[in-house]
Amino acid sequence: MSLHSPLHQRHLALNAKLADFGGWDMPIEYPAAQGGGVIAEHLAVRERVGIFDVSHLGKAEVVGNGALDFLNELITNDLTKIADGQAQYTMLCDDKSGGVIDDLIVYRKSASNLFLIPNASNTTAVVTAISEVAPPGITVNNLHKDFAVIAIQGPNSKDVLAKLGVSPTLDYMAFAEITLDGTPTIICRTGYTGEHGYELLPAWSEAEKIWDRLAEGIKEFNGRVCGLGARDTLRTEMGYPLHGHELSLSITPMQAGASWAIGWKKPKFWGKSIAESEKINGAHRLLRGLKSLDRGIPRGGMQVKLGEKVIGEITSGTFSPTLREGVALALLDPTIAVGDTVTIDVRGRESSALVTKPPFVPSHVK
Amino acid sequence: MSLIPEELRYTKEHEWLVATEIPTIVRVGITDFAQSALGDIVYIQMPKIGENIKADAVCGEVESTKSVSEIYAPVTGVVKRVNEALNKNPELVNSEPYGQGWIAEIEISDVSVIEKLLSAAEYRTLTA
Repeated sequence: MSLHSPLHQRHLALNAKLADFGGWDMPIEYPAAQGGGVIAEHLAVRERVGIFDVSHLGKAEVVGNGALDFLNELITNDLTKIADGQAQYTMLCDDKSGGVIDDLIVYRKSASNLFLIPNASNTTAVVTAISEVAPPGITVNNLHKDFAVIAIQGPNSKDVLAKLGVSPTLDYMAFAEITLDGTPTIICRTGYTGEHGYELLPAWSEAEKIWDRLAEGIKEFNGRVCGLGARDTLRTEMGYPLHGHELSLSITPMQAGASWAIGWKKPKFWGKSIAESEKINGAHRLLRGLKSLDRGIPRGGMQVKLGEKVIGEITSGTFSPTLREGVALALLDPTIAVGDTVTIDVRGRESSALVTKPPFVPSHVK
Repeated sequence: MSLIPEELRYTKEHEWLVATEIPTIVRVGITDFAQSALGDIVYIQMPKIGENIKADAVCGEVESTKSVSEIYAPVTGVVKRVNEALNKNPELVNSEPYGQGWIAEIEISDVSVIEKLLSAAEYRTLTA
């Protein structure tokens, strides 16, 4: 039985092509006949503005006296580096293996109130892992269906909001509670596209009101409603990891190049000893970018070779709508350097690719 | 509703076929239903000119932003022409699957096979 977003009826009315995302029936793209499709939606975000329903994302809270200090001893990044009203990208690792249970965004509302956005399919695992070790007085609540998440992304995103009477002067990764046309919502300067953008978290029951305002507001800027297909090509162009691909219980933060999201000075966090060991001794594989040098389009699971030797595997790959060529993220042997040329086994054909350091297109988030 | 022109023949693998130089040269492509299901097409691996292809065997690939699908030869024959325009503009398969988005022309030896393929009505039933 698939779960449905509070905007499901809107997607059906738009004839969206739906697909399963972590147990949720979500739009992958909107019909080409109405100007949609992955490429059109992708380019709308890069050049103008797009809105996404990402209500399948998890929501949870860790509340109670000392919640911040408690959570900070579990997650990789350091919550004391941000102030109340700011959000942070972080990871929750398995303490023994050092692998990643999930990567998530933590909203620091106060030292006793943290709001979490885990991935849809990992929400239960995150909530369970944290609750199991929560001391008396600190509670962890799964709020998956209490809030919707609607992203508005692209260079015109702030103009759309301004026309709707919202002029959030938010720094990157800062959030605030606002009302949009009378509807209260949290708004955060975050996203998963590499463009200037916002994520809005209205109450589940208010999602349609916010969606309808934004869907109307983007028209003036020739914006588009966008599915999760475009979200994936946008994030791949930025080299952003997706759990289950670039991060997983068998892939550590150091292997995925996510050491920037580790608070090294913290006395403890889950997976610290593994992360430190990999920092000193080097990881046995590293996440790199690959750019096709021919018409081949790399896909997840394909082998990467140097000569006859297998030196790694593609974790995510696609046709880049911006560059109009194949791009991929791959876990490669650490001796392979940026600038090397490797081959990808594309269903039995050899395709050559250049090893790069993502992003593949410039970031405009700040 | 996908477009299914009456004058074409179809396969259950969502290819279409029409005789262009009667009786022996047929033009093939993928159907409107197929292109719509695939989404934005970004690359087409076409068969090679002169290649002998066999009915129901894989003779190429259509790659969209999301996935890859194989093209099955609707008939046995020799590839006479491929649509070179698709190398530069693969999206023609999305916009004109039965026109500028044709994929290859094949010379066949046994014209009777055409009649054995699905009619428009039969293909409509299949995709309903």
